[in-house]
Amino acid sequence: MSDDNRIPSRKDLLDIASLSVAEIEHLLKIAGPFKDLFKRSVKKVPALRGKTVLNLFYEPSTRTSSSFEVAANRLSADVTNFTVSQSSVVKGESIIDTIDTLQAMRTDYIVIRHSAAGIPNLIAKNTRASVINAGDGFHAHPTQALLDMFTIREVFPESAGKKVLIVGDILHSRVARSTSTILNKLGVNVGVLGPTSLVPSGRHEFMQGFRDWDEALAWKPDIIYLLRVQLERQGEPFFPSLGEYHRVYGLTTKRYQRIRDEGLYLMHPGPVNRGVEIDNEAMNYERSLINQQVENGIAVRMAVLYWLKPATGNEKS
Amino acid sequence: MKLFQGGEIASEDSPFLQSADVLVEDGQIKRVGAGLEIPDGAEVIDCSGCVLMPAMFDVHVHAREPGQEHKETIKTCSEAAINGGITGIVLMPNTVPAIDSGGLVQTVLDIVAEKSRIQVLQTGCLTKGRAGEELAAIAGMAAKGVPMLTDDGSPVVDPRLLRRAMEYAKDFGLPCASHCEVPTLSGKGAINEGPVSYRLGLPGIPAISEEICLDRDIRIAQYTGAHVHIQHVTTSRGLDTIRRAKEDGVRVTCEVSPHHLIFNEEHIVDYDANFKMNPPLRTAEDNERLLQGLIDGVCDVIATDHAPHTIFEKQNNEFAGAPFGITGLETAVVSLYHHFIRSDRFGWDLLVRRYSAEPRRLLGLEPVPVAEGAKAEFLVFSTEKTTTYSREFMRSKSANTPFIDQTLNGQIVGVVRSGEMLLQR
Repeated sequence: MSDDNRIPSRKDLLDIASLSVAEIEHLLKIAGPFKDLFKRSVKKVPALRGKTVLNLFYEPSTRTSSSFEVAANRLSADVTNFTVSQSSVVKGESIIDTIDTLQAMRTDYIVIRHSAAGIPNLIAKNTRASVINAGDGFHAHPTQALLDMFTIREVFPESAGKKVLIVGDILHSRVARSTSTILNKLGVNVGVLGPTSLVPSGRHEFMQGFRDWDEALAWKPDIIYLLRVQLERQGEPFFPSLGEYHRVYGLTTKRYQRIRDEGLYLMHPGPVNRGVEIDNEAMNYERSLINQQVENGIAVRMAVLYWLKPATGNEKS
Repeated sequence: MKLFQGGEIASEDSPFLQSADVLVEDGQIKRVGAGLEIPDGAEVIDCSGCVLMPAMFDVHVHAREPGQEHKETIKTCSEAAINGGITGIVLMPNTVPAIDSGGLVQTVLDIVAEKSRIQVLQTGCLTKGRAGEELAAIAGMAAKGVPMLTDDGSPVVDPRLLRRAMEYAKDFGLPCASHCEVPTLSGKGAINEGPVSYRLGLPGIPAISEEICLDRDIRIAQYTGAHVHIQHVTTSRGLDTIRRAKEDGVRVTCEVSPHHLIFNEEHIVDYDANFKMNPPLRTAEDNERLLQGLIDGVCDVIATDHAPHTIFEKQNNEFAGAPFGITGLETAVVSLYHHFIRSDRFGWDLLVRRYSAEPRRLLGLEPVPVAEGAKAEFLVFSTEKTTTYSREFMRSKSANTPFIDQTLNGQIVGVVRSGEMLLQR
């Protein structure tokens, strides 16, 4: 595997905003050979043999957790899955207490998913292990952004200048935050569409807002990136009903036909709410990149694990 | 007898300092003048390179006693105030239990008499238990000398109840202090709503949450003729409302905190909960407008909203779950010097007027100028030394301040009250 020595490793991957363009390009570059590996009969490399990866998930997520697990396995690391049901966390025990416990396990990498923004930062400051943010509240989901960018590069090797329209709940989406940031850093234009209640005025200033689908499609996007509409936010009045959301902002059959006719690509971070943000029919679209995103997720996460350098093993005896 | 020699005196009446020696005897300032003779037996305190100014008075302090003594006590809070050049503090009633009766006021005053070396006033709740449902025992608290009524920490949500509270408080000559916020608009918000809350993925508290409540409370004060004191104003629009209300003759006063003058949302980095308070840090433009409001007098007083919390509560968990509030008593004077006086954004007179004289007048107390015949209640401030806010420096039980481990220009080297040196460095 070729490695670019001019790009020094980091200890942690907490968000996209703090990565340089060179670091992003480096990660995308080393993810390529990892993906090629998947076509071989032996999909494993010994890069992280003897290292341990802890999947620390405070929020249920089969997809992301499995993706990291597969990535770590293919690098020959030992993986421990530690799923914490929020409700069972003893009140009064702080994250710091938990981290002290985990520190004693001498894990090299901690993959953390938590419902509160900033928890990975807090852990990173308090452990020698490399911390990988696998999603923290509404804040960031950097490996999702990297896999999205990797996927876009597969269909558009010259991605700069392309246009991606992100549709849905911009306010509560860590995916929208991280993916839009990586797109912007690499020169891809970002448009957003959704009800104003979910598209805040304080959003990244490079996110161009559109009033409706007609206006957004007139912008000539190359890719439509649909976000999951969070059903559990229905307790708050962001929009009247899922049915109304689907009619006004969803990828209805009619809109799907138009997108298909124009040959636009379709992305979604999953899991999909069929019939809400996307119609059934569109799920079988030949230009849907959704499954590709999942596969690329493993390659990109391998690249991240491979690139980061834990501060473990540097301890003075 | 003590002679403070070689310093310069600040007053609320002039931006210029006056070089003079100060002779203190029996708790009084006997003489002020250049080159005073050293009387027999007088202790001489060298004040060269120092400014002598009236001791400060803070109208917004959380001492956490009774009920949350792990964060702060009246004793540690008083000592923190002395460490910051403050000789009078006004305690908020949101303790556990909340101070909503004459008996509870007396409990606090008994602790004060035993534990504190400075002037401590206790405010009372507007509503019973701060629950916002029925009026607190206002007459009983008035009899115990509360200077102000407030449900600080939360607003009185029901406007009808606030109206009656203001009318009733007026009969006792008590101002009502308002923590302005619409709880449903603030929701689970952690910091100001805007680009920074979006970037950090934190729920936001919109400026309108504060402004709508501020508008409402001022309108009720206007209608009832009561005196409303707006606590910790943070937004330009809120300040404009206060300005207009004052022009209309409404009995409204307001306070601004040092942190809302110095910091804004852009200073919140790496989820440091020492930048989390309510109301939250707003924008750089708000910093400027609040400063202007302080200079042109729309902001009546400076007050810290000193709000101690332990490291465990503040730093060991998620930002959104950390309690609101930062300490301020020990950093206020030095940080205001460092950020504003040193760079001539405002003069010494403003600091004295807005953080010493006007707060005392607001509560019906006499100011304490450094002048012949006045009470000896002043602080000695070195403009040549610096202050490093280490944990060891703090006398508060808590150190949840954005200034932690920072070094600022200026140092409080002495605090005098009733002729005694409460602090001498």
